[in-house]
Formats: sequence, structure tokens, C-alpha cells
Amino acid sequence: MNNLKLVFSSYSYVILGIVVFVSMFIPISLLSEFIFVEPYLVLHVTEYSAFGFTLVIVVSIISAIVIPMNVYRIKRLQKGTSKIGGSMIGTIIGASAGICGCGPIGFSIISIFGTVAGTTTAFLTEYEIPIRLGSIGLLCIVYYTTSRSISTECKVG
Amino acid sequence: MNKKFAIGIAAVVMVTVVVIMGSTYYSTLMQMQEYKPRMSSAPVDLTNGSPVLGSPDAPITIIEFGDYQCEMCYHWFHTTRDDVINTYVDSGKANLVFLDLPFLGRDSHPAAQATYCADDQGKYWEYHTTLYTFQEGVDDGWASKDRLVAFAFNLEMDMDEFNDCMDTSKHASRVNANYDQAVKQGAQATPSFIIVSSDGTTKKISGAQPYSVFSRTLEAML
Repeated sequence: MNNLKLVFSSYSYVILGIVVFVSMFIPISLLSEFIFVEPYLVLHVTEYSAFGFTLVIVVSIISAIVIPMNVYRIKRLQKGTSKIGGSMIGTIIGASAGICGCGPIGFSIISIFGTVAGTTTAFLTEYEIPIRLGSIGLLCIVYYTTSRSISTECKVG
Repeated sequence: MNKKFAIGIAAVVMVTVVVIMGSTYYSTLMQMQEYKPRMSSAPVDLTNGSPVLGSPDAPITIIEFGDYQCEMCYHWFHTTRDDVINTYVDSGKANLVFLDLPFLGRDSHPAAQATYCADDQGKYWEYHTTLYTFQEGVDDGWASKDRLVAFAFNLEMDMDEFNDCMDTSKHASRVNANYDQAVKQGAQATPSFIIVSSDGTTKKISGAQPYSVFSRTLEAML
């Protein structure tokens, strides 16, 4: 908790966190068809998609915490970039899960790459929940190791 | 130096992913907006589509582009469609036509063909409903040839006629024509909808959107 205070005591990291959250949450929600902008702006979360939507929010929040923490760690403590790589992977996996093959991106990918792309998008759609949970797990591990690293280096607490 | 290089690589990957996702979505939006002029420059050819559900004289036609393996089509079918049918189709305010956009997997096309084999026996909408009731994963066997035959059997169809229809791919060209028509109309997702009023005004809805969007759109066109 002290590490969070330490990192987010600077407005630049708060802004970075907000930017990461928005740039995660909005595109994923659009691609997963939780938000529609045409013909009207509407949020559409049904009973069957509520858990998936919750996971999108969780992935976006953890990414918005972990990425600024890693940037802080790299900039201030001059540490290696391995953990930010982990957070990027977790973020990208979390973002790609649930991108429906039925949607415009799925249609474009399948039209260009054919059956293999169809199988991939079907996998991402079918295993949306476990993939997102895995990505959250990965992000949590990165948070823990990053937090420990900051604590050690800054001797917080 | 190595750290900067690694940060740079990570940033490039992140930015590339965001740019690809964003640009694809943006281009789709632009295409939708280009389509937005209320008068359709390319009238929708419904001759190869499903039978009309509802009154053929209804002032509004809802055209649905769908794939029987599409999960979002399944959700739209089970959440929004009933309300649209009850409020607008059953009351004679609108009718519904389904056009196939089978792209998700190898079983999508035969499933679409099977609906027209059912149509030959006057059971298009029953078969359509059956497919969206028993839909499972893409190409996981739920729409295999045997299952398509079993669905027909359960609907008490003439099995010799149905099997002959499927074996000869009698309606393959009809499904292809629907696919071409969907692409021509700019459909890039399933389900997609074009709503056409009697004066030729059109509106497009992309995705499994809620009933409120359909209600607002239809009321504005009535």
C-alpha cells in the first residue's frame, strides 16, 4: 500500500494510470461489444456477459496500477525492464481475450487469414473467462514482484 | 542502453497493438458513417434471403445478416429478438428477413444451406430457431452434417428430400449470393442489421445491440 502511495503521489503517474485504464477499458469494451457507439451510445451488459465485463474492468484497473509502477521502478530506480514486459504480456493477453470472431475485427482477420484465424478467434471467444483470469493472475504476480522490488530498493516500511 | 532498447520494444508492441485495434475499429466506424446517408445507394436484394417473417406489407423491413455459428447472434436471438418480434413484427409494423453471412467456420455454410433445405419443406423458421437453440462452439461438431440431419429429423421433415437437398448442395449458390449481398451492403460483423422503411430510408445497426436501440430506431422510422 505504501508503494502505491509512493508511486501515485506524483500526478504524472496518476495521469499515466488513467491513460492506461481508459486505453484498455474503452477499446476492449468496444471490441467485446459491451459498448456500442452507433446508432446510439449505449452500454450493454447482460446477465450472461456480466462476469466477463467485470473481468475487463479488473484487467484495466490492475494494468493501470502495474504499468505506472513499473515505469516508476525503471525511471526512478533504474531497474531492469523484465517486469514491465510481464505486465505488457498480461495486459495484451487480457485485451485479446473475448475479441469476438463475430465482430468487425474477427471478420477482417478471418477474411484475410481464413480457417486458422477462425479457430484462433473461436478459442479466444470460447475461453474468454479463463484467459482473462490468467491475465489477471499474471498481472497480480507482476504487481507483487514490482511492489517487493520497490520496497526493497526504497526501504519502504 | 539495453534497458532503453527493451522499453522501446515493449512500447512499440503496445502502441502497435493499440493502433491496429483502433484503426480497424475506426475504419469500421467510418464505413458505417459513410453508409449513414439515409437513402441506400445499393438496394438490398432479398430474393435469396429467408422467407419474410411477419406481414410482407409491413412498412419496415428488418434485414438481419447472421452466421449460425456466431455467439453474438445466439445472444441476440435469445435476448433481443423476441421483444422485437412481439412488439413490431407481430403487430404488423415491421417484418424480418434473414440473410446469411457464413464466415466463422467450415460448418457455417452447410448450416445455412440446411435452412433452405428446410424452407423447401416450409420449415425455414423452425429450423432457424433450432440452430440458434442448439448452437455450441465454432466447428466443434454441433453443426456437422449428421447433426443437421438430426435437426431435420426432429422437425419431422421428409428425410429423403432433405438428404438429397444437402447431398447435392442445392442451395449453396443461394447462400453464396446472400454472402455477396451482405458484403456488398457493408456488413462486417454478425449480427448486423439494415432497417429499411417503405420510403427507402435505411438505418444500420451493427452487433448484438439491446432492444432499446432497436425500439428507438424503429420508432423514429415509423
